[in-house]
Amino acid sequence: MKWATRRHCHVDRAACAWLIRRFIDPAAEFVYVDDPDEVPADATPFDMRGVELSHHDGECSFETFLRRYELADPVLWEVAKIVHEADLADERHDAPEAAGLDVLLRGLSMVRDDDELLALSGPLFDGLYEYRKRALLTGREPA
Amino acid sequence: MAAERISWVLLAYRLPREPSTPRSAVWRKLRRLGAAQVLDGLVALPLDARNREQFEWLADEVLEAGGEASIWVGSLGSAAQERELASRMAATVAADYRAVIAEATTTGEQPTGGSRRTLSRLRRELRRIRARDYFPPPERELAQRAVEELAVLVEEPVA
Repeated sequence: MKWATRRHCHVDRAACAWLIRRFIDPAAEFVYVDDPDEVPADATPFDMRGVELSHHDGECSFETFLRRYELADPVLWEVAKIVHEADLADERHDAPEAAGLDVLLRGLSMVRDDDELLALSGPLFDGLYEYRKRALLTGREPA
Repeated sequence: MAAERISWVLLAYRLPREPSTPRSAVWRKLRRLGAAQVLDGLVALPLDARNREQFEWLADEVLEAGGEASIWVGSLGSAAQERELASRMAATVAADYRAVIAEATTTGEQPTGGSRRTLSRLRRELRRIRARDYFPPPERELAQRAVEELAVLVEEPVA
């Protein structure tokens, strides 16, 4: 399937792309546009104004994906808190990792194009997911 | 030579009077972003990709709450108006920095040599203020220094 989002991806879009590839559509292909009008007819748009898979009720697009695709995995909701704070920093959640994640992805986006950014941030989110999973299972921060 | 004018992103919005929850949510977010109120329902931030995006999400939030919103990009008609707006924004964050300086100073003067918990709270607060500080006033440096001085006091063993 084809998925479309805004060019110059940052944390929310990178996290959504990871979520799509890992949990929704392993064969996902991404296209980047400057304006919602440029979304190809056969692509599903996300993290753009006025589309279904975007921010709603003060939640970021990653959280919207979890709701729309009924991904009830509690680990994903732990990751969602971090993505939300890295994207919006509105202190709805307590996620001290967010500030670091924001800087890492913002920096990466300065030296890599969107395809490379998604390729490089994928394993980062795999690791974040694994870490949060172990923390949830053992009830303590894994070492 | 004419000075280069700053580009601004503006959010024009109107929210229904009731319910008041979306109103205060929007207001809180505008304050966190450091947006300047130009008029009732018109707010501005220096234009960059992040600020523009944050305004776009806010616009959607206003629409979802049954209001009206549009995003504009522009610059002020005169350098004097631009200076006035920038100094008004600087004055707002300067007051926030002064509150940090006052608290760091009072905490440092306490005989216990200051509290570690206050220090980490002030560091967080300083980071938040810096994130909405587009026209740094002199208070920025002073606040930074006051918090660093408190950090030294906190680390020192009490005699």
